[in-house]
Amino acid sequence: MNRIVIGRYIPGNSFLYRMDPRTKLIAMILLMVSVFLIQSFIHMLVALLLVALLLVFGGISVKRVYLGLRPLVFLLIFTFLFQVLFNRQGDLLYSLELHYTVLNLSIAMALVIMWGFTKRFLRFRLLYFLATVAGVFLLFHYLPFGIVLGEGTFSVYEQGLSTAFFIMVRLVIIITLSTILTITTKPTDLNLGLESILRPLRILRINAEEIAMIIAISLRYIPTLLDEANKIMLAQASRGVDFQEGKLKDKVIQVVSLLVPMFIISFQRSDDLANAMETRSFVPGQKRTRLHILHWSGLDTTALAFTCAALIGVILLRVVGW
Amino acid sequence: MNMIDIENLSFTYGGKVEALKNVSLCVKKGEWVTILGHNGSGKSTLAKLIVGLLKPQKGTIRVDGVELSERTVHDIRKKVGIVFQNPDNQFVGVTVRDDIAFGLENLRIPREEMIERIEHYAKRVDMYSYLNKEPQALSGGQKQRVAIAGILAMRTEVIIFDEATSMLDPDGRKRILSYMRKLRDDGVTVVTITHDMREAVQSDRIVVLKDGEILKADKSEDVLKDKETLEKSNLELLLPLEVLHGLEHKKSTNEEIKEFLWQLSLNG
Repeated sequence: MNRIVIGRYIPGNSFLYRMDPRTKLIAMILLMVSVFLIQSFIHMLVALLLVALLLVFGGISVKRVYLGLRPLVFLLIFTFLFQVLFNRQGDLLYSLELHYTVLNLSIAMALVIMWGFTKRFLRFRLLYFLATVAGVFLLFHYLPFGIVLGEGTFSVYEQGLSTAFFIMVRLVIIITLSTILTITTKPTDLNLGLESILRPLRILRINAEEIAMIIAISLRYIPTLLDEANKIMLAQASRGVDFQEGKLKDKVIQVVSLLVPMFIISFQRSDDLANAMETRSFVPGQKRTRLHILHWSGLDTTALAFTCAALIGVILLRVVGW
Repeated sequence: MNMIDIENLSFTYGGKVEALKNVSLCVKKGEWVTILGHNGSGKSTLAKLIVGLLKPQKGTIRVDGVELSERTVHDIRKKVGIVFQNPDNQFVGVTVRDDIAFGLENLRIPREEMIERIEHYAKRVDMYSYLNKEPQALSGGQKQRVAIAGILAMRTEVIIFDEATSMLDPDGRKRILSYMRKLRDDGVTVVTITHDMREAVQSDRIVVLKDGEILKADKSEDVLKDKETLEKSNLELLLPLEVLHGLEHKKSTNEEIKEFLWQLSLNG
């Protein structure tokens, strides 16, 4: 749980660190919109290259971004495989005949069981899982002997592959951009930036300051609650609960045994925190002076101009149809 | 002149549990008073009533001559600060600096003055080098020192410590106690709420609470030596006083003294 990287500021000195948080927030949103508007394969690769350049010139280690992406690798691969396997639009690119026989089905089952037993001893579990899935498909193709129970094909279509590519690259770019934002911006500044951007919502009687404070306090208490969850898990583990293994039913019971105390503790904490805030003269909606103030510089104007240009460029490319 | 005046204060939780029954007490300006009592004696309820987190159902509370009411509660909170038991649950800011600033921002202190006060009071609780640290990088004692700096920076005239040392290690506790002493020496009114006799010993006066009633209110020395009152409220005598008490009660021979000290150490 301590390996969570999203939302963690890492001190640094590049131009990204010197930028106003408002610029970074608006630029991130504009770039995300741009990425969703891109339709061409080459433009997407260019966008990916630009993000990579941003990482290099922004002095952010790729390893850090990878750590941010790691919890989502499974989701990315699952999305990719789902599109490749089930999207059947466009030209057929590749086809593999599959024969389901008693022999290869038995071997496939043995492979899956072996995977289930041996996965815990290996480091690269995801790769091992993918290799097992690939192995099962190859078995169905290259071992068609014995009593045949059924036939099928594994087909990859053009549309499936391109959609899978676009979804994956879009997700990678979005996560990378948000990781860049959180790595280079102190939570306090991020909060101030958000508050400043949301301020026009006052017309709709929405108090931006309160929303920003709620977000700030939530971020502040994430490590505390993770710590608390770890303590409860250790306490449960010392009484024989195994959070790693077990049947699905056991896992549900284990999660409930973790969630109930977590809820009680969170409510207790929020009650105490509300008391502490009130006694320190906090009144919701009341005007406050601020310790931190934001500075807009030429760098921000330039960065925002570039981002707007990128968005307009993408829109024009889409309109022209290149 | 009295800083806090409480008259015939009563409070019942949910109409059933009587936490305070007709409590009357006063705390003088610049005095250090300890509210001593076992769990459930009503001492934390009293603290919450003084800072207006709970509403008195009967009786009155006056702080610096102003009666506590919905209209005056915000003004009274500018005069009375409180440090709670759990250091983690009162850390509002993302960093130490932000946390000390929180109360000042609420009081609408100008930014330049805010920066000055933050640095001054962080130095005072030996947390200056930690100003940019996040709470997870601090120990419980350090977080509690930040909470104290946050209250000091607001320049309140009264500081209540509601079991503020009970979750700390011995070193952290000693430090907080030394700040309490310094505060009293600087003329700040200090109210500590505790069941720890070692914390009470340094205060000017002790008020013993039991089941929501005041059992005794006197000079610290007189209360701490009063074995009968302390026993009645499930509190123990300080070890040196226990020894003194035992020796005074006909334990004259060496063997008797040895046996008495042995029994005392067995009972912790």
